[in-house]
Amino acid sequence: MLDKRLVLVSGKGGVGKSAVAAGLSLLAQRRGLRVLAMEMDSPGGLSAHFATGPLDFEPREIRPGLHAMQMVRSDALLEYLALQLKIKGMTRFGALARAFDALATTAPGIREIITIGKAVWEVREDRWDVVIADAPPTGQIGSFLRAPATIAELVPTGRVRTQADFMSETLKDPEVTELVLICLPEELPVTETEETLQWLAKEDVIAKPTVIANRVLEELVDPDTPPGPVGEAAELHRSLWAEQQRWLRRLPPDQSLPYLHGLFTPGEVAAHMADEFEVFA
Amino acid sequence: MTRTLLVTGGGGVGKTTVAAAIAVRAARSGMRTLVVTVDPARRLATALGVEELGNEPQPHADEPNLWAAMLDASASWRAVAVRHAEPEVATRLADNEFFQAASEHFPASQSYAAADQAATFVQAKAWDLVVVDTPPSGGGIDFFTAPAQMADLVGGRLLRWITGGPLPGRRIFFNVAARPVLRIADSILGSDLLERVAEFLLDLRTTYDGVSRRGREIETVLGSASIFVITTSDPAPLREAIKFYRELPGLAASPAAVVFNRILPEEWADAKAPRGTSAALELNLARWSAETMRQRDSREEFSSRYGAHIATIPWSTTPPTDLDGLAGLLEGAEMLPWDAVGIE
Repeated sequence: MLDKRLVLVSGKGGVGKSAVAAGLSLLAQRRGLRVLAMEMDSPGGLSAHFATGPLDFEPREIRPGLHAMQMVRSDALLEYLALQLKIKGMTRFGALARAFDALATTAPGIREIITIGKAVWEVREDRWDVVIADAPPTGQIGSFLRAPATIAELVPTGRVRTQADFMSETLKDPEVTELVLICLPEELPVTETEETLQWLAKEDVIAKPTVIANRVLEELVDPDTPPGPVGEAAELHRSLWAEQQRWLRRLPPDQSLPYLHGLFTPGEVAAHMADEFEVFA
Repeated sequence: MTRTLLVTGGGGVGKTTVAAAIAVRAARSGMRTLVVTVDPARRLATALGVEELGNEPQPHADEPNLWAAMLDASASWRAVAVRHAEPEVATRLADNEFFQAASEHFPASQSYAAADQAATFVQAKAWDLVVVDTPPSGGGIDFFTAPAQMADLVGGRLLRWITGGPLPGRRIFFNVAARPVLRIADSILGSDLLERVAEFLLDLRTTYDGVSRRGREIETVLGSASIFVITTSDPAPLREAIKFYRELPGLAASPAAVVFNRILPEEWADAKAPRGTSAALELNLARWSAETMRQRDSREEFSSRYGAHIATIPWSTTPPTDLDGLAGLLEGAEMLPWDAVGIE
């Protein structure tokens, strides 16, 4: 994953996608890469795992080589107008920014393209070896990935159209961009991941994603069930394990991350994730 | 009187299942109960006897006091616009590409549709209890802010600015200040996109009075509802629950309980494996014991920091597939404030 320039981490809400994005970022930093970790969605998710407090739109170096930022749509919009569309003197054009904001609320793809566009822009800038994004959840990821195509349908010509085409190419290039879908071996996350995979296969907006199952339990090899908590805990574990296996068979993941039992702060969870990724990222 | 229970919480905490379990308990205690869900797992939908999306409550075949409805949020959002618009405008809106996009992407639209539909059920006075499983967006806060946000969208400041007046006719569409801006925008976008958006917003604007009046009604209904916040001991849902607790005051009543789901037996926290236990079983106990301690600590922290009433529901290892399974889920539940929903 870390040989790509842009890694988008998505998944259904509650599956641990922020923890995975944070873990990947830490691993990339350990390996000496210049990393930008981007909180694209739900402020606070990624920063909790870095224990840095709220992030800003302007990337901040939180460890040597690791910068982190939070997507702020209005800031991203101003930057988009200034840098991508070469509209100078944005203070004089506050009215234009407001007009775009009206568009962003209603027109399909505008809000999304500003967000995904920021990630693509950072990749092109060569400031970073890798951009790792805590991306929107699977329920919304489709509209973000499809935003450039949506814009192309709405806007036949012009600078926005040119930008949209460039974004499409960047997202589709398997050498540059990788989508990672985090999944739990449970009914709803598996169903939603399957639906996302089917949609992606049909839409041709990004290369085939990597599926990572999170919180996967180890098999308990001892079949005994002695009385008391030892046996109760064994029975609970076996029962949860069997339920998980059923969903792992239905959607075999490319990789699995273990269930972390016990007292972990979000920062410790991210560090554990980074250790796990040492093996296969 | 119809009581309302709103069951909120982040994604993946078992919120929908808990809402269904409470509804089954209420129905079996003799209350005519409707459970309104947004996106249930297939097995749960089957257990509740609702197989298809639709806003019509379905009576359960095996449980005389239980009804269930599975909301189609996108459809009900369209219904809102149609209800509050002139017929000609309603037709134009329904076919409009921007309307489709706004209804999909406007973050509060699903929550608004669900809140509107839930309020309609409460106002029908056909049930003793309406249990609403709220959409997870914004940790459930969206459900309470959606009516005001919706009114703001359709009567929006942005539209007033683009069009230059509170409710302009089509002829005085673009005000003087906005005109050069639109020209620049058009040159960038390479089309009349912004103008098309403004025309759409003008249509939507005609629904403002209806939508804002309805928004106030919805807020009244939600304001008198009881609220259970569901969470697990994992950091992400806990963060959502905390956010909900901090932001809710002023929007609705204080939650009657924060319900920690998937709780392990308290006695596992200090349990030690007896001599002669295999290494595998001992390690397994140590792991789940550590998990039990984490759960206890997160409950204590939440209780001391926010003064919340804490309730617990034990970890059930297999998802319930029928009504008995759902009812069984709450058998080991502790401290659930049943009086808040009128169950004795």
